[in-house]
Amino acid sequence: MRVAVDIGGTFTDLFYLDDQNQIGMAKCDTTPPNYDEGVIDVISRTRIPGELIDTFIHGTTVIINALTERKGVKTGLITTKGFRDVLEIARGNRPDLFNVRYQKPEPFVPRYLRLEVSERLNYKGEVLVALAEEEVRAAVAQLQAEAVQAIAVAFLHAYTNPVHEMLALQIIKEVWPEVEVTASHQVTNEWREYERTSTAVLNAYVKPIAASYIDRLDNHLRNIRVRGNKYIMQSNSGTTTFAQAKETPINMLESGPVAGVFGSVVLGKMLKEQNIIAFDIGGTTAKCSLIDRGEVKVTTDYHIERNERSAGYPVKVPVVDIVEIGNGGGSIAWIDDAGLLKVGPQSAGALPGPVAYGKGGEDPTTTDANLVAGRLDPGNFENKVDMEAVRAAIQKRIAQPLHVSVDEAALGIIRIANSNMLNALKLVSVRKGYDPTEFVLVAFGGGGPMHAMALAKELGVRKVVIPVGASVFAAWGMLMTDLRHDYIQTYIRRVHGINLGEVNEAWKRLEDQALNQFREGGFSAEQVVHVRYADMRYVGQEHTVKVPMASGRIDELGMGAMVDSFHELHEKYYTFKLSESATEIVNLHLTSFGLVPKPELPKLETVGDNAERCLKETRPVLFEGEGWVDTKVYFRDRLNPESVISGPAIVEEPSSSMILYPGQVLTVDAYGNLIATTGV
Amino acid sequence: MSKVKGTVDQFTLEIVGDSLIAIGEEMFHALARTSMSPIIYEVLDFASGLTDAKGQLLTQGNGVTGFIGLLSSMVREVIEKYGQPGALQPGDIVIINDPYGGGGSHLSDVGMVMPIFYEEEVVAFSANKAHWTEVGGKDPGSWTTDSTEVFQEGIQYPCIKLFERGRVNQALVELTAANVRFPEQSLGDMWAQVAGLRTGDRRFRELCEKYGRDTVLAAVEHLLNHGEQLALNELKKLPKGTFEAQDFIDDDGIGHGPFNVQVKVEITDDEFICDFRGSHPQVPGPVNCSYSALVSSVRTLFLAITNSSQDVNDGMFRPLKVLADKGSIFSAERPAAVSTYWETMTYGADLIWKALAPVLPHRLSAGHLLSVCGVVLAGTHPDSGEPFLVVEPTTGGWGAGADLDGANAQFCIGDGETYNVPIEVAETRYGILVQEYSLHTDGAGAGKNRGGCGTIRSYTALSDGQTITATFGRHKFRPWGFSGGQDGSRNEFEILKTSGEVCGPFGKYARFPLKMGDTVRMTTATGGGYGNPLERPADKVAKDVRNGYVSVTQAKEEYGVLIAPKTFALLGSTQARQQLATDRGMQDANR
Repeated sequence: MRVAVDIGGTFTDLFYLDDQNQIGMAKCDTTPPNYDEGVIDVISRTRIPGELIDTFIHGTTVIINALTERKGVKTGLITTKGFRDVLEIARGNRPDLFNVRYQKPEPFVPRYLRLEVSERLNYKGEVLVALAEEEVRAAVAQLQAEAVQAIAVAFLHAYTNPVHEMLALQIIKEVWPEVEVTASHQVTNEWREYERTSTAVLNAYVKPIAASYIDRLDNHLRNIRVRGNKYIMQSNSGTTTFAQAKETPINMLESGPVAGVFGSVVLGKMLKEQNIIAFDIGGTTAKCSLIDRGEVKVTTDYHIERNERSAGYPVKVPVVDIVEIGNGGGSIAWIDDAGLLKVGPQSAGALPGPVAYGKGGEDPTTTDANLVAGRLDPGNFENKVDMEAVRAAIQKRIAQPLHVSVDEAALGIIRIANSNMLNALKLVSVRKGYDPTEFVLVAFGGGGPMHAMALAKELGVRKVVIPVGASVFAAWGMLMTDLRHDYIQTYIRRVHGINLGEVNEAWKRLEDQALNQFREGGFSAEQVVHVRYADMRYVGQEHTVKVPMASGRIDELGMGAMVDSFHELHEKYYTFKLSESATEIVNLHLTSFGLVPKPELPKLETVGDNAERCLKETRPVLFEGEGWVDTKVYFRDRLNPESVISGPAIVEEPSSSMILYPGQVLTVDAYGNLIATTGV
Repeated sequence: MSKVKGTVDQFTLEIVGDSLIAIGEEMFHALARTSMSPIIYEVLDFASGLTDAKGQLLTQGNGVTGFIGLLSSMVREVIEKYGQPGALQPGDIVIINDPYGGGGSHLSDVGMVMPIFYEEEVVAFSANKAHWTEVGGKDPGSWTTDSTEVFQEGIQYPCIKLFERGRVNQALVELTAANVRFPEQSLGDMWAQVAGLRTGDRRFRELCEKYGRDTVLAAVEHLLNHGEQLALNELKKLPKGTFEAQDFIDDDGIGHGPFNVQVKVEITDDEFICDFRGSHPQVPGPVNCSYSALVSSVRTLFLAITNSSQDVNDGMFRPLKVLADKGSIFSAERPAAVSTYWETMTYGADLIWKALAPVLPHRLSAGHLLSVCGVVLAGTHPDSGEPFLVVEPTTGGWGAGADLDGANAQFCIGDGETYNVPIEVAETRYGILVQEYSLHTDGAGAGKNRGGCGTIRSYTALSDGQTITATFGRHKFRPWGFSGGQDGSRNEFEILKTSGEVCGPFGKYARFPLKMGDTVRMTTATGGGYGNPLERPADKVAKDVRNGYVSVTQAKEEYGVLIAPKTFALLGSTQARQQLATDRGMQDANR
């Protein structure tokens, strides 16, 4: 049996697939700061005996929380002489252009814990100055005296030759075996010293936290007799072993959110859809990601705490490319200084939450507006909703100051929230050169089904899919994962006149590294699949394009094919190509999958359309441009495959509701997914 | 049951307004995506936006602050020249880089304007302006520190049509290609700008299709009025009265100077007037600033004071008035040299900043490095034998505010979403070895809150025959502190020759020759401080000493705090500090 548990901000979700191919789900409260307890809680709710779990997959917010709450350990840095301030200087950019009081993100290692040692390589990786070993020893002694708990090592040009970093690691192990250490080449082999140093520092900073969390969880799981394979979800949309996760915890920052995107790819394969926009609305944010021809887009241009006000901190590891905005069910509606209605990015969160939760929230939120508009049923909440309080909040904070009715204000909140989310969806699609009419929208998270139909229509998407268990879809995605490791090596070579022997050698090194890593996790070579990419550009450019490359030995022909795809892709993304210009490779990117067998998902029995028998009620619902319309409401979990419902309609499930507009039609497919046409 | 009406309501206007802002962002990214030159897609040294039919700015995407006053006045220049009926046709695109007219700065910033037609009528304009790496002129990279008239600074486009009814003027394209050093790059930038304009044109017309022309135009009014209202609300919170500041610009790069500059800021309930009259007349060297560029710098500071949002439109600038003498260093006239105009432009912002900081200590900080500290390094890569050209700004220290220390190592006010070049990238691409990239911890800018550190960056030439041109303003007149905070330090660069000879320090130098092994050492200013240093909490001073931002001696002499050199333990305080504490009636001088 495969079991996936995903820890979110409010809930810990579980999805399982048993050996009879039956799926099931469970949910319980997230239990900070001892998150592992929630994991055990949710497993016990399913009453699944631990022995039956042969694969356990886990997504967690523990690492990202440790970073954003600054709960990591005191960390020191050892770096090249002349460059200890690189971490503090950062890139010098000021996203908040017109702010003369811009506050630069404070470095995770203060200046007095950043120590320099003599050593230097040039850009070719040649040693100019040998590593002064006694200086490393002295630095370690100093950091030991300062009682740091972790040390990061980052030297210039280590991406091309890690010789000095490896030597320094060896010395540290010798002098102070107990301290946690991370060298930059262990977490990333791309150029740009600030980004690489930052990544090494952040990994070191959370390493002890990750180790103790994973050990605790592992113990708990053993106690309930889970002896099968245990994996952790990484930001690259694949999993890794507990042992590896303890070494490079920085790879699990986005472990929850990317699982939903990956789930969309798997769902797309089942539905024979290759071009997908994955769209996830939670309590505080909405996230979207574009899937082009069945492939999740992975980038290393990832930052924590970066926004339009702050440069944040770079983390140069592979992360699924997700656009996130501060707009979710709990986003607060407010009026700015000059009388405009705004929604988000402030959120009422889980506590106090929307007014509807009755936990003391006084600020109206998108959820409250959806209640007033009749789109959510007050009876479908865990608590008893005081509708008078909800209406009063909207009246006081929005309707009264704007001189409109409560109904108008509620609809205004929904429309402004939709307008914000539409801009995020445009950002990943039209603005990157993609035509939304060629894409299917997969909507999930508690709020996804509620807003998807309006947004898809506006964006020009024709088809929307609301998966089974939409509100716990990330956990479903985790069930379907394989192990995955990405190896990105900066390798700057002009294509013209490239030494083919050397390129093949470089690929072989990466593939051997991958095989070794998988072997340590108990995989045989046959279970490992490699996929190659080259990050390429025209000589003189900065930005690169990821180009797929054939596997096996590369010859002249193979290089030619790669260059042809580069020109073609460059034209797609950047509107032009320069067929005559010289091209160069910047990075070799190897993605290796450790394939695990997965059962087929069950199809439901087809006994014909039963929609009319699933009718819950008819109630008035407020629609944009239509006013109040009497609308049929259906129970989702009773609908048979092949059931057809025409809008206006609402399909309700325990933690979510789908809104179908007039003119839109949905069908239930063989797996229980809702497939809707938008009327575009 | 109440009926929500289907007519145009305020939420629709708001959503259309949001769409306009989103169009501005899309135009911005379209240009960055399609550009060929690093200075556009890496430094983001460009802006793009939409104006209404009268040339009022509706939305502008910016990578740097320097363009915030340029787009709308550039469009108004086009409206003035092509005002008669039928003079503008659908598909026309006008190109303009005249420094002295509407929207002008220096020749390197090339502007383009496209009228947007809907139902045979101009409803809006799509506009952008971008720094081309090359527009010809006497020196590679086109800007230099020793030009004396505009004719040495590149090709001039005097508000002429590049496209007529969608057809390109091929003669103009060929003329451009013949006058610049890297035609592929410059023409690449030209096409990128055209693509950006057309994106704006297409999206604006789509918006008219969807919501109807009248709704869109109503939303435009709504947006502008909202901007004005926001600015007026903020204006109400400001102290009223007249505030003055004076300063000096070092020199013009060819031996003249210093030059007096001054401002008188008058704030009333509904106006914010900046009067630069009385500043020095225009000068022989290339530091002259055009009136449009001055307006950009004034707007930048106005936004710093009044606007908490990044969505900017001309409504916000309605209360703003900018006065300058024609023919002055702030409003230069043809044929004054202007290629490094930013050295003066940033003073436009800094003077207002300095005049108002004492009365707005929670909104404004002390003086910062102020200069872009621009560097052009040209030479041949020793491994590839190919020529390389580094054109880059330098980071430096920012000033302290009433409740915060100054930021370390940031680009100046004229820049923005600008990134330094990583050492590993620089050493790969250029024929140099970077010896040091560190904070300049000279302890200047002492105060209750400290100025931020500048940086030290050293390049050693790895081939013979390299040259460096650099312009580091605030070399003679240092960043100012306020309310008892001390001044910061200066910007400078020097050349350390293999022979042991040291040349400089310099503030400006054109084409200094470097041999293999010679090192350029660039040091930027520490920002100004805020408040009396003797009032800085002792534990903060101890932390500063431990981190090496302040020396043990400075801790004692400037801050009055005695600190043990090795353990960084607090040993006590000086008499001056105790005296001050007693005077202020404090119980504990170490607090």
